[in-house]
Amino acid sequence: MSLQIIINGLALGSVYAIIATGFSLIFNILKFSNFSHGALMTLSAFIGYFFAVTVNSSLLLVVAISMLAGGLVSCLGELVAFRKITLSNTSPIYFFVSSITLGTLYEGIVTIWVGPNFYNYPRFFETTVVKLGSIVISKSDLIMFVSSCAALALLMLFIQKTKFGRALRSVSFDRETAGLMGIDVIRIIQLAFFLSGALAGLAGVFLGINYTLYPQLGNLVVKGFIASVIGGLGSVFGAVAGALLLGLTETLLINFAGSGYAPVFSFLIMLVFLLIRPQGIAGSNVQEKA
Amino acid sequence: MKKIVALLLAVLLLFSVTACGGGSKTEAPSGTTGENGTSGTEEAKGDIVIGCLQDITGVTSTLGKMVEEGAKWAADEINANGGVNGRQIKVVTYDTKADVQEAINAFKRMCTTDKVSAVIGPPVANIGIAIAPISEQYNIPVLHFAIDDRATIKDDGTPYKNMFLFQPSAKQQAAIMAQFAVKEKGLKKIGIIYNQSNAYSVSLVEPFKKVAVENGGQIVGEVTYQPNDKDFKTMLNKLVSAGAEAIYAPNYTQELILIVQQARAIGFNGPLICGLDACPPFPKLCGPEADGVIYINNITETEPQIQDIIAAYKEKTGNDATNKFFLGYDVMKIIASTIEKVGDDPAAIRDAIENLTNYEGLTGTITIDPATHQPKGLEMVMHEIKNQAPVMLKRYSASE
Repeated sequence: MSLQIIINGLALGSVYAIIATGFSLIFNILKFSNFSHGALMTLSAFIGYFFAVTVNSSLLLVVAISMLAGGLVSCLGELVAFRKITLSNTSPIYFFVSSITLGTLYEGIVTIWVGPNFYNYPRFFETTVVKLGSIVISKSDLIMFVSSCAALALLMLFIQKTKFGRALRSVSFDRETAGLMGIDVIRIIQLAFFLSGALAGLAGVFLGINYTLYPQLGNLVVKGFIASVIGGLGSVFGAVAGALLLGLTETLLINFAGSGYAPVFSFLIMLVFLLIRPQGIAGSNVQEKA
Repeated sequence: MKKIVALLLAVLLLFSVTACGGGSKTEAPSGTTGENGTSGTEEAKGDIVIGCLQDITGVTSTLGKMVEEGAKWAADEINANGGVNGRQIKVVTYDTKADVQEAINAFKRMCTTDKVSAVIGPPVANIGIAIAPISEQYNIPVLHFAIDDRATIKDDGTPYKNMFLFQPSAKQQAAIMAQFAVKEKGLKKIGIIYNQSNAYSVSLVEPFKKVAVENGGQIVGEVTYQPNDKDFKTMLNKLVSAGAEAIYAPNYTQELILIVQQARAIGFNGPLICGLDACPPFPKLCGPEADGVIYINNITETEPQIQDIIAAYKEKTGNDATNKFFLGYDVMKIIASTIEKVGDDPAAIRDAIENLTNYEGLTGTITIDPATHQPKGLEMVMHEIKNQAPVMLKRYSASE
């Protein structure tokens, strides 16, 4: 039974991890929490949905389309909402305000486009379960967990091993110096937004498969935010660790204390982290937590 | 220059805010069958105005829109046949957005500004309960579908004078579901999962438990969740490991889809017993996991008296008429036939509705009990979903 709870927690945590990673990528570079991320997840998930019902309903293609759409919309969002603020080098609070506005815009577009109802993706795979003794793992959870791990591993590889990844890290470390060293800072910021948007697309499809699609789906971004605060804002590794921890804590709390207490405790844990270890689990750079 | 730009932007913002804040009222004037036909047509003097307080854009909009469609369909039929005593019926719909505060404001506006003769209320318990005490101030009857007793009956056991329920109450529906599950299906060990903050769900739990236990059933576990919960696997696991053969889930459709899908995903293949929310279009929305779901409905889709309307509605809109459509339809027809007899004075309509007997509607023979303002002996039908389609199992008279 308790192992079953841990498995459920890991499955939940893996989705939170993709949200939190997309979040921390942007924090890493521009030092602000991008609250349009949630609405972007919804928007790209819906693009994937309409692709699935009109063109082709293979999961792989739908995920690819959603990720691509998420990446492109994210880049466009960067251009419209953040570019001017980046260039003028002003306070991160403007980024924060701008991201909330952009999120509201995305959500508004989705609501006008699809209406307030909820939608269900076409069936991508049979609902079957894998049984290991008394432990039951659903196929959808398994696919989600494996894809999340794969996506995150690829991202880590990209950041650690490639030239662009190195540039990304140097821009996040010191934007001005990186610029002086000949790195095209704006291009790298665009890259970060594209990656973050693609992760939003991936998370959006998974959330949609598991929790149905509706215009407020992106509100789950709060979980990603809590996870990245616990893990250490701006650290990709920390975001993953924080997300898994949050997923586990939530399922344990639901099981032992009931669902009413789970969000209360999640926020308490976040507050405790902010009080005792504001740099989070990973403890990377931390200044503005706008 | 910068100041001018800032000023222009401010003006633009102000303009966009005022442009968006125009309210959410729609009217379907007599004779037109289209939507939003507010302007252009000359409003014939002496139209009978009926208010329709429904969720059109919120989380329960699938229900509210269907009630509105049914009511408008009936009004169009009546208007096409010359109206009521030579006057046309005009339906004024306000969108509650499933929000209690919006609903209260809209209800007050209907009663004071639009001067409606009667109001068709929502099939949403939280809103019904909020409207009930306010309805006492206005002498306008509200014909609604909120099955929680508190939307019709006061704490002292007497009914709110203007509130009338037009489908069996939560107690009656829960009793039917419990009887069917325990006696008919032989399901003895039942687990319960429900939304703690939804009056509708809560109102269906206690009477179900009572009747199930009286009939020899056993409640092996009970879990509650919050409105924002999306992951029910751990809660469902708890019920399954407590030995539940069946799971009772009286919740709204969107949550129900997740609950049913996740129950199957953790390997639970037993029946789930659900309320009205598992009626079509639920089986299609949920997919193959819906097979084995048992639910209650006001009608069964194969009944002969509704076939013509189902076909006509499908032809005109391309959509399927659900149970809420027929509730809205019946209530509009009841209002019209009452006005035909007593005129459009709201107080006279109220008195006549209180004594409504044996009205032959599409959802059954409707008699209102003056002591409770709820229908007496109206039938409900238990169904099971097989191959993603409803199969009628047993018809019950809501007698309790």
